Amino acid sequence: MPQPEPKRSRIRDLLTKPIRLPQWFTERPAGGPRIFSFNDERDQVVGEVAARVVGQCLGEHLEILLNESAHKEIERLEKQRDDEAREWLGFWRTVVRTLSRMSESERREILRQVVESMARDVAGNFDPRVYHFAQKMIPGMIAGVMNPKQLARDAISSHKVGVERLVSITGHVEQLTELAKIGTVIVVPTHSSNLDSLAIGESLARQDLPPVVYGAGKNLFTNPIISFFMHNLGAYRIDRRIKSQIYKDVLKTYSAVMIERGYHSLFFPGGTRSRSGMIESRLKLGLAGTAIEAYARNAIRARSRGEQPTPIFFVPVTINYALVLEAESLIEDHLKEAGQARYIIEDDEFSQLDRWLAFFKRLTTYGAACVLRYGQAIDPFGNLVDRQGRSLAPDGRVIDPVSYVSRRGEPCLDPARDAAYTRELGQTLVEHYRRETVIMTTQLVAHVLFRKLVHETPGVDLFGRVRRRGEITWAFDAYVRSYLETRDRLRELANAGQVHLNSYLETDSAERAFERATSAWDGYHTKTVARLDGDQIVLEDPGLMLYYQNRLVPFAEAIAGEDEQRAAREIAALGGLSR
Amino acid sequence: MSPTEFGVSPNRVDTPYDDHLITGPRPAVAVVGAGRFGVALARAAARTGEVLVWSRRELSFDEPSIRVTSDLAQLAGAELILLAIPSRYAGEVLTDVGHHLDGGHLLVHVSRGLLDDELRTMSHLIKTVTPCRRVGALAGPISAELLITSTPGAGVVGSEFPEILEAVRATIGSPTLRIYDSDDLRGVELAAALTGLLLFTIGFAQRVGFGPATIGALATRGVAEVARIGRALGARVETFGGLACFGDLLAAVAGSDRPELELGRAIADGASPSAALLHAGGNIEGIEVARRVAEFGKRRKIRTPLADVISAMVGGQLTAADAVRKLMVRDVGSE
Repeated sequence: MPQPEPKRSRIRDLLTKPIRLPQWFTERPAGGPRIFSFNDERDQVVGEVAARVVGQCLGEHLEILLNESAHKEIERLEKQRDDEAREWLGFWRTVVRTLSRMSESERREILRQVVESMARDVAGNFDPRVYHFAQKMIPGMIAGVMNPKQLARDAISSHKVGVERLVSITGHVEQLTELAKIGTVIVVPTHSSNLDSLAIGESLARQDLPPVVYGAGKNLFTNPIISFFMHNLGAYRIDRRIKSQIYKDVLKTYSAVMIERGYHSLFFPGGTRSRSGMIESRLKLGLAGTAIEAYARNAIRARSRGEQPTPIFFVPVTINYALVLEAESLIEDHLKEAGQARYIIEDDEFSQLDRWLAFFKRLTTYGAACVLRYGQAIDPFGNLVDRQGRSLAPDGRVIDPVSYVSRRGEPCLDPARDAAYTRELGQTLVEHYRRETVIMTTQLVAHVLFRKLVHETPGVDLFGRVRRRGEITWAFDAYVRSYLETRDRLRELANAGQVHLNSYLETDSAERAFERATSAWDGYHTKTVARLDGDQIVLEDPGLMLYYQNRLVPFAEAIAGEDEQRAAREIAALGGLSR
Repeated sequence: MSPTEFGVSPNRVDTPYDDHLITGPRPAVAVVGAGRFGVALARAAARTGEVLVWSRRELSFDEPSIRVTSDLAQLAGAELILLAIPSRYAGEVLTDVGHHLDGGHLLVHVSRGLLDDELRTMSHLIKTVTPCRRVGALAGPISAELLITSTPGAGVVGSEFPEILEAVRATIGSPTLRIYDSDDLRGVELAAALTGLLLFTIGFAQRVGFGPATIGALATRGVAEVARIGRALGARVETFGGLACFGDLLAAVAGSDRPELELGRAIADGASPSAALLHAGGNIEGIEVARRVAEFGKRRKIRTPLADVISAMVGGQLTAADAVRKLMVRDVGSE
């Protein structure tokens, strides 16, 4: 059966197809990061993904697989009613009609066509010119939107502009620099905002770390400008509307093949943005889990050459915002669904220009309002690695990571084993996230206020509490005492290496911290979180208070005083309820 | 790397991802710990091949296929390592053992203990102090006698790793010992540990003089209670209806000689906890488990009536008669 001919439309191409710059006069970078030569390899990658998926599907009952995919695709495309639907509906309907009469080889051919077309749709593009352009210009553009006068001054004094005042980077960055030269790095950050990928991308570029490939939801590609950058900076497209098993296999295989080939990658292992504002406590890992399969395959290849495989390193990163662009939508969604998050929120603050402007304006006056903390790298089996990239046992001894994918000394493939490693890795990352969390002023202030709210409303459940808008007041000097004691206990945890404090938390007085938090909230959020009325604090919006304080849930009991323990226990119990 | 290295069909790298099963000979086996159960495991394993037993004590076996060593380094040569050490020594022993192991070793423990107030289990300790990740737990109504005398019976191995199950089956599985598998490691471990609490309760109830109907009610509601705890810790409820909990419990009611039963009986006779422990012998943790479960339930807002009264009774805050009354006057709900 012939594959559908794409119908030509310039506008649609602009909106949905990768826009690529012409390849004339492009110099071939020598010795640059692997991704700089991705375009030369793209067809091979697509071919390999297709061959592997087709190979895997052969064992299954092909007829059932194709039938299931056809019905799911028809259901989706009938709802979609766009050009893609017009192209593919006929194809899938014919498949359904003729499937039972097809020979095995015809079915295989259909599968190959489908898989190849899916793989081509997923595959990204990387243009070093766009990368260099973006590396130089995007920070300036962001800074310029936010503060044009400062931009002019900065542009005169240096090449790099303004963003370092927005995003500060801490943690094990030097180790990451070393490891990126030795092996394949998989960056796995916490996820609270759609700005996360920009923040990570910018931080990597600023540290002169190589760019990473990552999967982005197809909904992010609808804006042609963002789409242009995404396409040309190595992002591959994930269409969450496609439910068929074949597509899931294509995505997994694509990410495995890219990791096997040594492309540094970025995954958000939490899947979606944290609705509650809590640091992720359960990770499914999803595509990040393919790194273990990739490692096993590389280990087998390397063994046949008598070598060690290129190591793979997972680098946990916490992204800590004083203000979160989408906070209001996220917490509303969290409360509405009580944890059953909708997968995609279509109309949140991310798609509203005025909210962006208000957000960035507030961020610049806050100072380093986003702290990225790079954690210690681990191997795919949860072991820490040293600066040479060697895996370390708990006693500090160097061990061979190939042993984890070996039986009787020989590396081998085993999906059940790798699924178990993936779950373990998820738990290990959760522990790392917790330790690498950087507590921001807004979060601690919100926590102390929310704990008071819980204290004052015994027996009321969470949903009852978030309705108590503006009902509870608290004498400011009592708040100050509570805040200072809580901060001291938090500092002890930080000294013990269990968490980190943002520098403002260290230096600000209680009064200054309150002012910093409330002015950040007031300048951006549409709802007032808390306000000062004479010498009383009025607790205005428990929803946002909950959102910001949720980062402190794992530490609630440890940082509460004796008479606050009951409230702290209730707050700690929130951690068991949700993602 | 050249592109051809990633070609589609040069070697077994390109076999389908799930075309993996190794069905080879029995793995090299070592047993750590030579208590009653460790020795029984070694004897059972010796029926299928060579076994290395690590023990601090001087030991000798009359079976030629069992070799004894006090040198931990020799464990590195084993593939499957069966751990039969009481949980109070486990931290120290495992740390030492861990110096000689890597990711290729398969570790299976038979512990029925809990490590701390968070109700953490042995596999957590193994993963913390050793580089081993392929970990399993063997549980169910398997006694030392059953292993030695080959009377028909069954046990369950909890592990997420299929190779663990294969290895244990190949080592101690036999026509008289059926080894079932479960991928709910945490469930199997918790079931094994919390069943101790139920056994203690049953021993106590028997000695106080309760009849079969009362014991049936206690056992059934007890399983529901420990299953609630398990679920809160990420285990599956069904696991508690299996060999690791329910099977073990039925064996006790049918008359097994588990020391936890004896402990319950001794307490019912009015012995102090330490005297009762001494009397029951064995490395058992029934009393400590009750306190931990009760505390945990309070913290996490889980109903644990059985653990509550037992820990209060053992702590001397409640007499046996009061304990029973307290259990009976609670609100009745649906099952």
